[in-house]
Amino acid sequence: MTKPAEFPKHLRKIARVYVDESMQESPLTLRVRDRLNGTTHQDIPWTIVRPDTERVQFDEGDAQALYLKEYKGKFLRFCPGTKAYHCCGYRIIHIGENCPMSCSYCILQAYFQDRILKIWANQDSLMKELGNAFGADPNIRYRVGTGEFTDSLALEHLTGYSHDLVGFLNDYDNVVLELKSKVVDLSWMKAAKRTDRVLPAWSLNAPFINEHEEFDVSTLKERLEAARTCSEAGFRVCLHFDPVIHYPKWRQGYAEIIDMIFDYVKPENIAYMSIGSFRCMPQLTPIIAKNFPETRYIYNEFIPGLDGKARLLRPLRAEQFSFMVDRLHAHGMDKQLYFCMESTEVWQEVFGYTPKDLNGLGNHLMRQAFCE
Amino acid sequence: MQLSNEIISTSHDHINDAGSHLFWSGNISDSLEESIREFGQAAPVLVRETANGLELIAGYARLTVLRRLNQPVLVRMTIDATESDMGLLYMADNAQRILDDGMRLAALNYFRPMLDEKQLEADILPRLGIKPKSKDGKLLLAWLDMPDNWQKHLTAGNVPLAAALPLGHMSMDDRQACEPLFSEFSWSRSNAVNALTWLFEASKMTDTTVADIVQRSGMAEIMKQGLSPKDTIARLCSAAKATRYPELTLLQDRFSKAARNISAGTKWQMLQPNNFETGGAELTIHVKDETQLKKAVKDLETMAGFPAWDEIWGLGGRND
Repeated sequence: MTKPAEFPKHLRKIARVYVDESMQESPLTLRVRDRLNGTTHQDIPWTIVRPDTERVQFDEGDAQALYLKEYKGKFLRFCPGTKAYHCCGYRIIHIGENCPMSCSYCILQAYFQDRILKIWANQDSLMKELGNAFGADPNIRYRVGTGEFTDSLALEHLTGYSHDLVGFLNDYDNVVLELKSKVVDLSWMKAAKRTDRVLPAWSLNAPFINEHEEFDVSTLKERLEAARTCSEAGFRVCLHFDPVIHYPKWRQGYAEIIDMIFDYVKPENIAYMSIGSFRCMPQLTPIIAKNFPETRYIYNEFIPGLDGKARLLRPLRAEQFSFMVDRLHAHGMDKQLYFCMESTEVWQEVFGYTPKDLNGLGNHLMRQAFCE
Repeated sequence: MQLSNEIISTSHDHINDAGSHLFWSGNISDSLEESIREFGQAAPVLVRETANGLELIAGYARLTVLRRLNQPVLVRMTIDATESDMGLLYMADNAQRILDDGMRLAALNYFRPMLDEKQLEADILPRLGIKPKSKDGKLLLAWLDMPDNWQKHLTAGNVPLAAALPLGHMSMDDRQACEPLFSEFSWSRSNAVNALTWLFEASKMTDTTVADIVQRSGMAEIMKQGLSPKDTIARLCSAAKATRYPELTLLQDRFSKAARNISAGTKWQMLQPNNFETGGAELTIHVKDETQLKKAVKDLETMAGFPAWDEIWGLGGRND
């Protein structure tokens, strides 16, 4: 008898599948059924969600549910940045909500206070909306990504969503898709016809933070190995230091990971790299304290920022940024670096220039994305 | 449980009034004594018969006054009352009283051995004027887990109900270290919650104990300075905040010093408006007439030439 295939570590808590009645025969649903077959999770129960169901309730301790849902909202969105700080102007392709991994700092804990991983199973609607937007004027360029309300690749093993999206976007020369993740799943690569319109991206952090604050994720080495694989295949990659955490030995930790990056990828193969200090809606802090009682970084000098979010006191985060940017510059990084949601003051202090000098951060990153 | 129809008269000596269900017995108003002197006992007290004689169920104040006046007591008997019934009857008989948090806590403490938390929440809290599931309801239930000495501080009005949240995060040792701060003074809700939260978070931030933070921040010395309660609490709060936000406090102190140098002798107020997210300052003034306006403009011109502005511009920046 064949031994059932093991699930990737980060998907093992999935204990039930919900599917909207209207989505039972959707290609995505059929694929999930097919991919569950022959695995350790092939017998997990499926529940059909009737149209009159107000809200799916799932509470089975540590277990998670996958919900294949017919989504009726907007699929293409603007990043919810605020005017008080410089936003990168990235557009979101909304493919689902919530994440199977658990990182102590993750804002999704506050957004989605349940253990239901939602995936929009009506891919035809999503692609129709995207086609209308991207096809309307081929001269308008788009830098889009799926990693805002979920991890781009976390459910890829089951859904193949990014594979489908990459295949669909092959026809749109004016779109660069960023796939941002903390796991390794490169199955989407097979669908890519050109390597200059997909930007595989991984979040990075200091090894201590990776070990103590990120759970069920790939190791930093695995992420960087994947980045190297992509780079060798001709893709440029993105790397993101967000959130940068102020903890007692942060200098050592961030120096270590920065040096490690360049053992795997060359600066010229990095399209861009963001750096963002830990910041959060004030209501996230007690959630972190409750969900991760060992976490200490939340007890630092956080003040209400210009957007009302809690942020580390400016001199403390500018000190960290300067340290990291100096080290990244020493490795040959230059204008690929940018700050995620930072003030003009911090840009000027650390980089010596501001987004205005780059003709706007969104424009600058668009040029970086399209390799100009 | 039943109440008898007849009212009988008995000697106050025959009534035992030491039951734990009399959880609000205490201060007796002068007006009650005056009323009983003038009109006699208008309403009977409730008692039950036990192997040791009559036991008071409700009417502690009336019984005390009648005992003081050496008058017989009109009583009504209760039959088959359980411990829980006695507490409920006592509360019902005292329904007109204005309750404070200490009284509510005393009632909940009485019922706690008999009822689980859900019953306390659903059945007892509404009788105490608190909605089940409300924030105050949750805080009151949290206070049940606080040690007796802290419960006494709540009853005395020294510590507010909301302090249950930060205290709930603390270990026994942490709470013990904070206790002296609350033994003498009555703290407002915001001051108490802020100070306790800052002390707890400062201990986590520096990986030490609250006792160490209290000691390091000089709180014991502040308590000994003989200041008014208001000033003492203000200084204790500042000390707690300085340990929780050392860099911010340093920046604020430097800003205040520079601002004093610049605006001394004028009516201008200088503020740092955004926790040093940006540099600079916010200047405000209130003027009532043209003379004051001209003076303000002149003062501002003079202030603009002060070298202390260099300190203000650079605060929080990289070259600071």
